[in-house]
Amino acid sequence: MREEKQRPPAGNGYFLRAEGITKVYSDGTVAVKDAQLEIHPREILGMLGENGAGKTTLTKILSGLLPPTKGRVISPRGPVKFASPREALDFGIGMVHQHFALVGTFTAAENVALSHERPFTRIQLARTKKRLERLMEESGLRVPLDVPVEKLAVGEQQRVEVLKVLSREVDLLILDEPTSVLTPLEVDELFALLSRLKDAEKSIILITHKLKEVQSITDRIVVLRHGEMVGDVRTVDATTEQLAHLMVGEALEEEADAVELSDEELPTHKERGEARRSGEGLLHVVDLTAKGNTGEIAVDGVSFDVYAREIFGIAGVEGNGQTELVESLTGLRVPIKGTATIEGFNILGKDPREIYRLGVAHIPEDRWELGLVLPFTLAENAILGVHRWEEFRGPLSFLRWRKINQHVRQLMDRFEIQATGPSAPAKSLSGGNQQKLIVGRELAKDPAIIVAAQPTRGLDIGAAHYIRQTLLEMRDNGRAILLVSADLDEVLALSDRVAIMYEGKFMTVCSPADLDRETVGMLMGGVTAKEAA
Amino acid sequence: MSGTKGASQSRFLRGVHRTLTGLHPALESLLAGVVGLLIGAILMYIWGFDPWKAYLALFKGAYGGSYEFSSSLARGTPLILTALTFSICLRAGMFNIGAEGQMYMGGIASVCVALFVLPPGLHQIVGLIFAAFAGAVWSLVPAFLKLTRGVHEVISTIMFNWIARWLALYIAIFLLVDPRRAEKTLSIPVSARFPVLVRGTDLSYTIFLSIAFALVIYFILWHTTVGYEVRAAGLNPTAARYGGIKNKRTMFLSFVLGGVAAGLAGATIVMGLPPTYAIYGGGALPQLTNLGFDGMAVAMVGRNHPIGIIVAALFFGGLNAGGRVMQFYGSNPVPLEMVRVVMGAIVLAMSIPELIRLFPMLKKQGTEFIELLRRIGRRKDRRQSA
Repeated sequence: MREEKQRPPAGNGYFLRAEGITKVYSDGTVAVKDAQLEIHPREILGMLGENGAGKTTLTKILSGLLPPTKGRVISPRGPVKFASPREALDFGIGMVHQHFALVGTFTAAENVALSHERPFTRIQLARTKKRLERLMEESGLRVPLDVPVEKLAVGEQQRVEVLKVLSREVDLLILDEPTSVLTPLEVDELFALLSRLKDAEKSIILITHKLKEVQSITDRIVVLRHGEMVGDVRTVDATTEQLAHLMVGEALEEEADAVELSDEELPTHKERGEARRSGEGLLHVVDLTAKGNTGEIAVDGVSFDVYAREIFGIAGVEGNGQTELVESLTGLRVPIKGTATIEGFNILGKDPREIYRLGVAHIPEDRWELGLVLPFTLAENAILGVHRWEEFRGPLSFLRWRKINQHVRQLMDRFEIQATGPSAPAKSLSGGNQQKLIVGRELAKDPAIIVAAQPTRGLDIGAAHYIRQTLLEMRDNGRAILLVSADLDEVLALSDRVAIMYEGKFMTVCSPADLDRETVGMLMGGVTAKEAA
Repeated sequence: MSGTKGASQSRFLRGVHRTLTGLHPALESLLAGVVGLLIGAILMYIWGFDPWKAYLALFKGAYGGSYEFSSSLARGTPLILTALTFSICLRAGMFNIGAEGQMYMGGIASVCVALFVLPPGLHQIVGLIFAAFAGAVWSLVPAFLKLTRGVHEVISTIMFNWIARWLALYIAIFLLVDPRRAEKTLSIPVSARFPVLVRGTDLSYTIFLSIAFALVIYFILWHTTVGYEVRAAGLNPTAARYGGIKNKRTMFLSFVLGGVAAGLAGATIVMGLPPTYAIYGGGALPQLTNLGFDGMAVAMVGRNHPIGIIVAALFFGGLNAGGRVMQFYGSNPVPLEMVRVVMGAIVLAMSIPELIRLFPMLKKQGTEFIELLRRIGRRKDRRQSA
C-alpha cells in the first residue's frame, strides 16, 4: 500500500505549499487570514505567535482536521485536499496535538494499532509491535509498549503520540506546543529526536510561543499575529528582539483604539503610577505554589499584593499557570504551598463560599463551565453563589423568587443585559449578555476584591468595552482588582501594575508604562531582560 | 437519486428533525405514549388479537368508571413515590436504581408496627416513619460508597436491590410471619391502616400521601435553596462548586430524600392496600416486585418533574389496572404481558427525541462510513488494475 502513495520528490523545491489560506469559523471569527506558507523538505519550521494568533488553526487545516474557508494547499504534484486527518496521514502529514488522543487503558502498541485502519486483531497487534520496535530502534524514541499509557509520564505519552504518527511513515510532522507539558530534560530529548528526524529527510513544524526554543532548534521561523502571517525569517538572521516584536506587534495606542479605549476614559500611566502602595495589600499572596491537573508545578512560588484602588494585571501566554493561580485564590484548587491572606485570614484551601464571604468576587475564565449553569434561567443563574444570602432566602430556606426576580431586573437594567426576562434560560443569551450577567452578579456582591479571568474573551467590541469600563469604575470606587487576561493590549491598557507570567513564575512586576512591546514579547516568551541584553 | 430530490428530501428530514427536537417535554411524553400503544397494537395484531377491542377493554378497565379509576389510582400510588426516588437523584446528577430495594425495606419496616399497640393516627405516623427511615438507611450505604470511594451508584444500588430482596424475603418468612398463615407476614392492626377512600375499591388515603410528597419535593427542588443547590450540582457540578455549593452534600441529601420516598412507597402497599395489609412472603413478594423499576419508567414519562410524575403514574396505574381487565375480556383475551410490552415500548419511545437530537452526529458518521467504504472500494480497484 505504501508504494501507491503519491510521493513528492525529495530534495529540491518544496514539500507542501499553502496559498491564501483563510479560515472563518461559523461564529464569524477570522482565525487565519490569507496565509502563505511553504514547507521545505528536511527542515524544522518554527511557528510563533500569541494565543489566538491562528497557529493551531493553520496547522489543523494542513493536517486535514479543518477545511479552509478559502485558499488551497498544493504539493509539487498539484493541489491536494484532505477531507480528514486520515487522508492527510495517507499523504504523509501527521500532527501531534496539544491534548493527546490516547486511550488511557490501552498500551502504547494498542494505541498505535488503533490509529491504523486495519482491524484490531492479535496478529495485527503483534505486527504493529514488531514494527514499533524497529521504529524505536531507528528513531531512538523509546517507550514501554506493554504498559497502559495512562501509567506513563506525560513525556512518554507524547512520545507515544509521535510514534503513532511516525508509524504512518509521514514526511511532515506537526507538533502543537509539544514542550508545554515536558520537563527540561524531556525537552532536550525531544529536540534531539527532531534533529534526527530532520536528518532522515523529514519536515517538521514546531508550534510554540517560547522564543528560546524556537531559536535553538528551527531552521526557519514564521510568525503569526491575529491570524496574519507577519514574518517569515531564517532563524540565523533573526534576533530575539525582532521575533518578540513581530509576535506581539506594534503600537499599543493603535490597538487600544480598536477596542475603543480612548485617552479621556483612561487615566494615563503616569498618573496611575503615582498612587502610593506600601505595606500589605487587600490581597496578600506569599510563595503560592500549586500543581496543575497533570501533576506538574503550574504556579511556582508566586508572591504579590493587590491594593485597593488598583488593577493588578497578569499577562502572559495562556497555560503558564494563570488558571491555576486564579483557581487557588478562589477556592477551586488546593495549592501545595504558600499563603494568601485577606485581612489576615488565609484563604488558600478554603471553600469558595467562605472566600466570597470575605468580599471576593470571581469572574471566571470559562463562563460555560464555571460561571453559568446553562440550562438554568437568568434568575437562577443570577443567584449562583449568593443564593444563601438573607436577601433571597426566607424562612425554612425558601427562595424568595419575587425578590430575586426584582434583583435580576435591576441587574438587567444596570448591566444592559438583553434578555426576554428573568425566566429566560441562560443558554438562550448571547455570549456578551452571558458575560454581563456574570459580571453583574459578581459586582452585585459589592466585593472588596475582584478576580477577573479573561473577562472579555470572545465578546464583541461593545460588550468587551462595557466590561472594561465597569472594571475601571470598580477600581475607581476603591476595589482591588486582579485581572488575568491573555489579551495583552487589554492588560496593558487597564492595569496599574502588571506582572508577566511564564512557566508559573512572574518574570517581572512593574508599571505598564515601563514596558515596551519588545520587552513584553520577550518576557512572555521566557527571555529575561538580562538575557536579551 | 437526482440532486433536487435529494435536496428536498434532506430539507424534509431537517424539518422533521426540527419539529421533533423542539417539542415541549410534555408533548414528547405524549408522543412516546402513543408510539408505545401503537407498537403494542402491531404486536397484538401479529399474534391474532384484535388491538381495537383489547385497548377498548384496557381503557374501560382503567378509567371506565369510579371503581376502575380508583383502582388505577391505587396502582399509581406507590409508583409516584418510587418515581420520585429516581427523579430526585437524577436532578442531582445521579442514576439511582435503588428504589426497588429501598422500597422492600420500607415495606418490611412498616410491617413491624404490627408488633406493638398504639392509638390510631400515631400508629400510622410511626409506621410511615419506620418505612421512611428504613428506605433512607438502605440508600445510605450506596451514597457513602459513592462519596467516599467513588463507587458508581448504578452498580451499588443494583447490588443493594438484590440484598434487600432476599433480606426482605427472609424477614417476611422467618421473623414477621403470620403464625396462622405462613404465606404472609403479620397483618398490621386496624389502628395502623390507612382507611379506604372509595368503598369497595382498594384505593386508600395513601394516594394523598403520595401526592403530598410529590408536592413537597416540587417545593424543595424549585423553591428552596437546598433544592436549588441540588439542581445546580446536577446540571453543572463545576459551576456549582464555583457557586460555593458542596456537591457531596447535595448528592447525599438527594440520596436520602430518594430513600425516604422509596421507603414510603413500601409503606403504601402494607398500610394502604386492602385487604391483607401484609406482605406475601411465600410468593416472593408479589405485591412489591417491580414497583421500583416501574417507577423509573414513570419518572421518565413524567419528565422527572413531580407534577409530571403524578400524571404519568396515573397512566401507568391505568395500564396495570386495565391490563387485568383486558386479560379476561370475553372473545379477545390478551395476556397481561402485553401491557408490559406496551410499557417497555413507551420507555423506548421516550428516547426517540434524544436519538433525533443526535441525528446530525449520526448523519456525519454515516457519511464518513460511506466515504470509508468508497475508499476501500477504490483501493481494491487500483490493486486489481495493478
